[in-house]
Amino acid sequence: MGVDGHARASDGAAPNPPPDPAGRGLSEAEFRSAVGAVEHAVDARYEWDAGVAIGGFLEGLREGRILGRSCSSCERVLVPPRMFCERCFRATDAWVEVEATGTVQTYSVCHVAWDMRPLDAPELPAVIAIDGSDGGFLHVLGEVDPADVAVGMAVEAVWKPVGEREGSILDIAHFRPRRGA
Amino acid sequence: MLERISRPSAVRRWPGSIPVGHRYTPGRAGEVFFTALRDGGVLLGSRCSHCDLVYAPARAFCERCFSELVPDTEVGPGGELTSFTIAFVDVDGRPFDLPVTYGLVRLDGADTVLVHSVLDPGDEPLEIGQRVEAVLRPEGDRTGSILDIEGFRPQPART
Repeated sequence: MGVDGHARASDGAAPNPPPDPAGRGLSEAEFRSAVGAVEHAVDARYEWDAGVAIGGFLEGLREGRILGRSCSSCERVLVPPRMFCERCFRATDAWVEVEATGTVQTYSVCHVAWDMRPLDAPELPAVIAIDGSDGGFLHVLGEVDPADVAVGMAVEAVWKPVGEREGSILDIAHFRPRRGA
Repeated sequence: MLERISRPSAVRRWPGSIPVGHRYTPGRAGEVFFTALRDGGVLLGSRCSHCDLVYAPARAFCERCFSELVPDTEVGPGGELTSFTIAFVDVDGRPFDLPVTYGLVRLDGADTVLVHSVLDPGDEPLEIGQRVEAVLRPEGDRTGSILDIEGFRPQPART
């Protein structure tokens, strides 16, 4: 062994890995200018099968209606709908249309988008408890100053124009404070 | 009872995509390799004197003994075809107009192989062990890419 504790090739044994590998992190400029660099984007597409319950829910949104499923055992209306009541452990019974109104159950004021882009105007994601149902769903608030938002605030759906709806949760443009509430 | 779907078109599918872009830098040895290829038209390997092996393309470490290596050994441009395959569709499954032959080439002076395309195989069937030679792009067209090598052209058998 050498005095530095590392095996030498002449010892016949493999040398140890170097204690200070010459590799290091690259600066942004080095990363961008590196000779021989390769850029690629994986085409990662997918399709999500909405199923019977959410499929019906989305079709309802296209028609400007919020649909739920009722369970006659626990007398709940499930929004978004499920074909199975997880509380009673039985199939739900019927489609029910509920009002496109609700209350803010919880909300957040977001200053960055999902990919960390700064937003000029903050977005207001909120869970809306839908009136006449046992459920609710995540959406965004609009036509409101972030400082005026409060848990429990009454809100109503603002629908996209009929021609722009595509059977998507975004067929509701946003929820706004309920007029006259 | 649960509803059953009788019309497949009634199934609502929601399409989406995930942006997964990346940039791969070839590292210290790789940058030396590509710079030498671009500017000098030479192919560099790294010799491990401990293992008596030459890696080509050049790399920074010996994978057997972890010694640090430097791109110090010129290899090729001739070499030996150690394996090949003939592709009729591209990576996305789209048919090629003409089939493309890919091969593993052990460059002369090297102990490892690299993957590249085999140019103009012609009517003579390729064989494992066939002599091939690197065809480089003209100097001004080279960008520091593995595609600065256009491919490997089969050579007539030595007599």
